Amino acid sequence: MDKLSREEVLHVAHLARISLTEEEIEKFRGELKVLMDDIDKIKNVKDVDDEIMYTPIDFNARLRDDVVGAMLSAKDATLNAPAKNGSFIEVPVMINE
Amino acid sequence: MSEFTPTIGIEVHVEVKSKSKLFSNSANTYGMATNTAVNVIDLGYPGTLPTINKEVIRQGVRACKVLNCDITRKMHFDRKNYFYPDNPKNYQITQNRTPIGRNGYVEIEVDGIKKKIEIEEMHIEEDTCKSAHRGSVSLLDFNRAGVPLIEIVTKPCISNSKEAMAYLTKLKELLFYANISDCKMEEGSMRCDSNVSISKDDTFGTKTEIKNISSIHNVGLAIDYEIKRQEEMLNNGEIIKEETRRFDDKQGKTILMRVKETGNDYRYFIEPDIPYLELTDEFINDSLSTLPLLPDELREKYSRVGLSSLQIEKLINNRSLNDYFLGLLSYKTNYVTAVNLLLSDISSYLNRHNKVITDTHLSYEKLVSVIEALETRDLSNKNVKDLIDSLMETDKTLDELKKEFNIENITDDNFIKDIITKVIDNNPDSVNDYKSGHDRALKYLMGQVMKETKGAVNPKMASDMLCDALNK
Repeated sequence: MDKLSREEVLHVAHLARISLTEEEIEKFRGELKVLMDDIDKIKNVKDVDDEIMYTPIDFNARLRDDVVGAMLSAKDATLNAPAKNGSFIEVPVMINE
Repeated sequence: MSEFTPTIGIEVHVEVKSKSKLFSNSANTYGMATNTAVNVIDLGYPGTLPTINKEVIRQGVRACKVLNCDITRKMHFDRKNYFYPDNPKNYQITQNRTPIGRNGYVEIEVDGIKKKIEIEEMHIEEDTCKSAHRGSVSLLDFNRAGVPLIEIVTKPCISNSKEAMAYLTKLKELLFYANISDCKMEEGSMRCDSNVSISKDDTFGTKTEIKNISSIHNVGLAIDYEIKRQEEMLNNGEIIKEETRRFDDKQGKTILMRVKETGNDYRYFIEPDIPYLELTDEFINDSLSTLPLLPDELREKYSRVGLSSLQIEKLINNRSLNDYFLGLLSYKTNYVTAVNLLLSDISSYLNRHNKVITDTHLSYEKLVSVIEALETRDLSNKNVKDLIDSLMETDKTLDELKKEFNIENITDDNFIKDIITKVIDNNPDSVNDYKSGHDRALKYLMGQVMKETKGAVNPKMASDMLCDALNK
């Protein structure tokens, strides 16, 4: 099969919380299939049995001392936000109740 | 009796006590002005890199010990991928494959029966930002983003709401006493999700998850409601769906939030920005060396010095008094009297002035001298009440305060004799009651002596002299 099913595309769209047009669904059936095939190739790489593949870097993580450092002001923290409300960052609501 | 058997599993998130956050050095505090305890790592800016806070790992090791978990020696972090505005990186850094602790337990007792609630695993992860929903928009405060959390997951081994509440009470007590978390459910530093299913046989039924229940009491109510709801559905031939619900405490109901996404949908993979972490014996021993005594150890210790179980529970419920009392144990004194004072006059003073005991001037030496004076009856309970403010607020010794308050006990024999004669003459009925064997009459007469002298006589001396006079 060279395309994902319509249901698979809609499931991924739901996880990403986006709505798709019919045209987009059709487009992603093909494009996402290419991506999924690549992921499947990675999944087929056999894990080393006992040792977990932790990371490509073979050294122990450096632990940071528990000390508070410099922080942003509310003005700077919200500077790049598309919308704000006082010191809050404002986003569209994403719950259904 | 229902034909269904409930199965309950509980997931608890506790905010870990530390100065800074899990992967960034911004402050881990509650109550700061909106979006001021943040830096670019907490906001998920591209190009920023997380570094692990040593203290959080130490707290994780301590939590393993306290909850009887095996400590994972070699661990890594994972990315849990999801789209939601509370996490602008679009993934949460957590531990999926190598949780810091596994196979633990917490022992509870319900209706006299002991049970081990088994802990499947506990892992360290970062908190998300706090969202407040206002109509069509949500307002985000990132002060909470990146706050260290420990998530503790039980096996599905809890049978009813009573066990669930006992488990949460014990868990809260343990983590609080070990200084791992404040465990304040009202401030969100301890959050609880319950998974509930029912079944007629040994197989598990379809579970529903009840999210973010705000108190231990409400966990009990939510579980009871959910069991009843599921029973009614199955009895009506309906099918239970795997879904996430919330508990509305005003209506006393669980309400559907969303149909659950499965674990696969999160597409966990190893966090490539953090190398693996291997804990040495030295690190583990060092972390555990600062663990204070835990509640069950305290119960045993206090029982050995003669405290009643009621005193012990009251003391353990008051952390600052408990810590103070622990220090007192290195002094030789009457500990029962000490606890009585701590839980009565001293607690009452602290509540009245909204203070903790370490904010006061009550040194151990001063408290020991008060206890001694009470034992030798050089001081009455009423005297303590009169002196309490000065005992707590000044560095003056007990002797100095007694002089200042003019409460040197009257030890003049003749004066006391006169008072006793007067009391006996004025209360012939009580005297007869005493002589007929009613001991309570003696207490009444003694009360009259203290009233006449406004509590100024040495109580032991007065009591002995009253008995002599009555027995003549």
